[in-house]
Amino acid sequence: MTLPRTSRLWAAVAAAALFAAPAPAQPKPDVNEATEKAMKAASARVAPAVVKIETVGGGELIGGGGKKGPPGAPPQPGVRKGVGPTTGLIVSADGYVVSSAFNFANKPTDIFITIPGHPQRLVAKIVASDQTRMLTLLKVDAKGLPVPEAFPKKDVEIGQWGLSLGRTLDNNVDHPPSMSVGIVSAVNRIWGKAIQTDAKTSPVNYGGPLVGIDGRVYGVIVPASNRSEGETAGVDVYDGGIGFAVPLEDVFAVLPRLKEGKELRRGLLGISPQVPDVYNTVPAIGAIQPDSAAARAGLAIGDKITEINGKKIPNYSTLQHVMGPLYEGDKVTVKVLRGDKEMEFKDIELHGTTTAYVNAFFGVLPMRDDPGPGVAVRFVYPKSPADTAGIKAGDRITKFGPGKAPAPVQNRAALMTLIQRLNPGVEVSVEVKRKEGGKVETVTTKLVPAPDDVPEKLPLPSSAGKALEGQPKPKDPFKKDPFGKCGPEDDCQDEKKEDPKGKDKPKTETGLMTRTNEALGREYWVFVPDNYDPNVSHGLVVWFHPIGEGGKDGEKMMKTFRDFTEESHFIVMGPKSGNKDGWVPSETELVMQDVKAVMGQYTIDKTRVVAHGLGNGGQMAFYVGFHARDVFRGVATLGATLGNPPKDNVANQPLSFFISAGDKDPLLKDIVAGKDLLKEKRFPVVFREMKESGKEYFDLKTFTEFLNWLDSLDRI
Amino acid sequence: MFTRHTLPGLVAVAAALATPAASSAADPFAQAVEQANKKLVKVFGAGGFARLNNYGTGIVISKEGHILTVASQLLDTADLVVHLYDGQRLKAQVLVTEPLLDVALIKVKVEGKKIEEPNGLDLDYFDFDAAVKRGPAAPGDWIIGLSNTFEIALRDEPLSVQRGVISAYTKMAGRRGIFEFPYTGDVYIVDAITNNPGAAGGALLNRKGELIGIIGREIKNTLSDTWMNYAIPVGAKTVVKEKVTVKDKDGKDVEEERDRELSMPEFVRLAMKGEYKPIQRKPVIGGQGGYHGIVFVPNVLERTPAYVEDVAPGSPADKAGLRPDDLVSFVDGEPIVSIKAFDDFIKKNTRPGTVVRLEVRRGEALQTVELTLGAHPARPAPATPPAPKKP
Repeated sequence: MTLPRTSRLWAAVAAAALFAAPAPAQPKPDVNEATEKAMKAASARVAPAVVKIETVGGGELIGGGGKKGPPGAPPQPGVRKGVGPTTGLIVSADGYVVSSAFNFANKPTDIFITIPGHPQRLVAKIVASDQTRMLTLLKVDAKGLPVPEAFPKKDVEIGQWGLSLGRTLDNNVDHPPSMSVGIVSAVNRIWGKAIQTDAKTSPVNYGGPLVGIDGRVYGVIVPASNRSEGETAGVDVYDGGIGFAVPLEDVFAVLPRLKEGKELRRGLLGISPQVPDVYNTVPAIGAIQPDSAAARAGLAIGDKITEINGKKIPNYSTLQHVMGPLYEGDKVTVKVLRGDKEMEFKDIELHGTTTAYVNAFFGVLPMRDDPGPGVAVRFVYPKSPADTAGIKAGDRITKFGPGKAPAPVQNRAALMTLIQRLNPGVEVSVEVKRKEGGKVETVTTKLVPAPDDVPEKLPLPSSAGKALEGQPKPKDPFKKDPFGKCGPEDDCQDEKKEDPKGKDKPKTETGLMTRTNEALGREYWVFVPDNYDPNVSHGLVVWFHPIGEGGKDGEKMMKTFRDFTEESHFIVMGPKSGNKDGWVPSETELVMQDVKAVMGQYTIDKTRVVAHGLGNGGQMAFYVGFHARDVFRGVATLGATLGNPPKDNVANQPLSFFISAGDKDPLLKDIVAGKDLLKEKRFPVVFREMKESGKEYFDLKTFTEFLNWLDSLDRI
Repeated sequence: MFTRHTLPGLVAVAAALATPAASSAADPFAQAVEQANKKLVKVFGAGGFARLNNYGTGIVISKEGHILTVASQLLDTADLVVHLYDGQRLKAQVLVTEPLLDVALIKVKVEGKKIEEPNGLDLDYFDFDAAVKRGPAAPGDWIIGLSNTFEIALRDEPLSVQRGVISAYTKMAGRRGIFEFPYTGDVYIVDAITNNPGAAGGALLNRKGELIGIIGREIKNTLSDTWMNYAIPVGAKTVVKEKVTVKDKDGKDVEEERDRELSMPEFVRLAMKGEYKPIQRKPVIGGQGGYHGIVFVPNVLERTPAYVEDVAPGSPADKAGLRPDDLVSFVDGEPIVSIKAFDDFIKKNTRPGTVVRLEVRRGEALQTVELTLGAHPARPAPATPPAPKKP
């Protein structure tokens, strides 16, 4: 009997359905079983090169204090070093083993390595480390060791299996290493230095290999983070689905240098960008560190970088990615636009360190809002270069410059830019027009590093009251904030603000005001002194409230600051954290919208914009200060730790610090440590420890100093 | 070793498996899990405050409702309740616990029946003997974790399934808070986040759904100071110290410390018959251990390396040839990270007469020496200041 073709087909389908559902067909190869086998074989292929590392001595804790701060302070994670062995990977048959620097971060006194198949433990020595990839190279006395095959970087694809292997859990190196299974999640991570995986990575396998399903090695597992650097960066997210491995190909490439005992450091050009927007603009050089690779090669401030090593550079972020993987001693060829001229700088050798930029100091406070020409001197710092050169308050600086030929100075801003390009120790000539008698004289003096002290008393007035003279007429500043809403106390008539030079002087809203931005769901207060005059530029204090005080402390701050804001022309504002448990760094951009709204509405002196905060607010002030450096010139904190390591001091975005803490503050030690870090970076830092105080606002003496600090931020 | 020629077949398999998207309607996991789910229960007991959860998981090992789970605070109640896979809610009673294996045997209690009477139940269960006979799993074996982690399931809702591999088959080195974990025997470390609140007592299964271990609690691994995902194997063994009273050669009763091997199969076998006697946990008084005669450098750092400063003349260390500046690096294979670690080891593991194998770093090499520990020499009486003379 033969069935018609269609019936036969249907019968077959039915039979298949019958088999498929309830019981898995026996003869069908089990794909899981095959995968399982392949994984074990991959591990077995690399296992002879995965060694066990044991250490003696060293600390229990790495980094941090390991203790909990007061409520709201971010945890200070000191990483506890486990007592178990760690892992390394053989990279050279003659006894070289690479491992994660984390495994030695507690500075052990002795290191021993056990190699699979070799019964005897061997004494190991640290040869060198790669500080950019957080790897350590070790050497043992052995020969003929198996070296694993590297998985070519170009063949690594997202989704490929990744096995992380380690030697911590099982003491016997002749057993298979511990295994965690995941996939390749991303390539070119951490500025192009690492492959990312979702296989579990932790102290259990740091230093071990991340292996492909065929037993070739993608890389060496390390803790890593794109937010911070150092041996413990990234350990806090162990087993968190985000792990990293430094490509083994890259390790092999630098192995000869490491074998010579060379400490490998990041290669630096020594430049910082002009504008903080790292994505949308062609990177123009804003500052060049003294004696850096860029300085030696002859790059200049204002140069626009268009190409590095033949790669187009559309923005600063690309530049960071291109420079990220490079080492000290590597050479780069840089193309720039200087004006309209394209220039090429060949084979610039990168430096490993840069000398911290030190702000040069002349020793005067300029009179503000003076269109010039020249700069009127408001105050001369005693014993400063200006003082020794005989400059007196009231004199007008007309020319200034290094060497014997000073150039004309138009105004305060021009003088500031000029001095930013000079270093302490440089001899300058200064032409002054004397207050008494109007005599013009030229004096010379030597610039010094900016001092850390604050003048005891500053003379008033501080402003010539001509801020808007010669400036283009401000165009309806409200337009810049299309969502701005007039509160009940707001003077909405301001929308039709007239020309300030018109018949009627405009009346700008003053006093304590609450602003809301409904589109963003934000609220902040701003206090404008009653004597506000758009022709006098005002400093801006951005107050970051402590936890729980959001929106409530405007009144208090207004009372505290009222007299000062009138005398010294400051505006105080208080953004409100959207988070009950305190400020979080991700709020920075929103806060900056508030700040920029205020800056757009009032005449703000850009040299005196300060982030100020107490406790958690102080930490936010540090953060915002460093992350909106185009705006802030000062950070003043009370009872706040630094949080993140400080960034470098750069010439065109100076930042001064006024740090205070109560002697009873449990965080005092950490606050002092943060202050020292800032000093190391050569920022001007004023530090005051207040007696008999915990975490409170300034006492009267410190407050006076703080106000003088605020009023002298535009010192030159 | 590392040539591709040794693995021709493997490369082909690898190519086929370049991406892990291997699941399909006929995933063999589904059936394995469905069967296993019927053999597990949700356990509810004491707790519910101070971060002690009042829920957990249990493994049915007899048709009458014998259930294995961990020996946790959960069981400290007269109102123990289990939910079967089909939603039945039954009372249960603890039969016996053994903290040194971190295991408890409980049994379903049927209304109107005594706990030891036949109760007429006919539950699906894991054959524990068969599970033991299969032998241990190895690193890389695929596993399935099945538990009521985070109390996600009630009544007839199925338990949560997790997939992973055996990361390592090794000895437990764990701590809860600052306390060392009492169980120190064999353990599977698992590459899946199996150990969370409520998961303890869940089942670790192999790829085919066969029982291989009991999911443990949330504890930290002292080796790496990371949270650990582990299960105690069905064939787990551990050695514990036990104090026993024996007759000495003169017929007098003396207390002696003995090693006793404890095993999970033995626990289950005896406990099912109601014959298991938990180990008498007489506190092992911290003895001095044996005498070695090493004088270490002053112990002033967090982890002061165990450098020998001097050896007492005629002491075991002297006889074994230890010298000043030797670094005691390993004792009986255990790494000695500090002087404290050495002292702890000696106190915990030795007594006069014990032979220990020391690996010491001398210069650039490790030397192995054996020490037969002795009895502590009588201490000279502590010096007392001369009594003030009375006027």
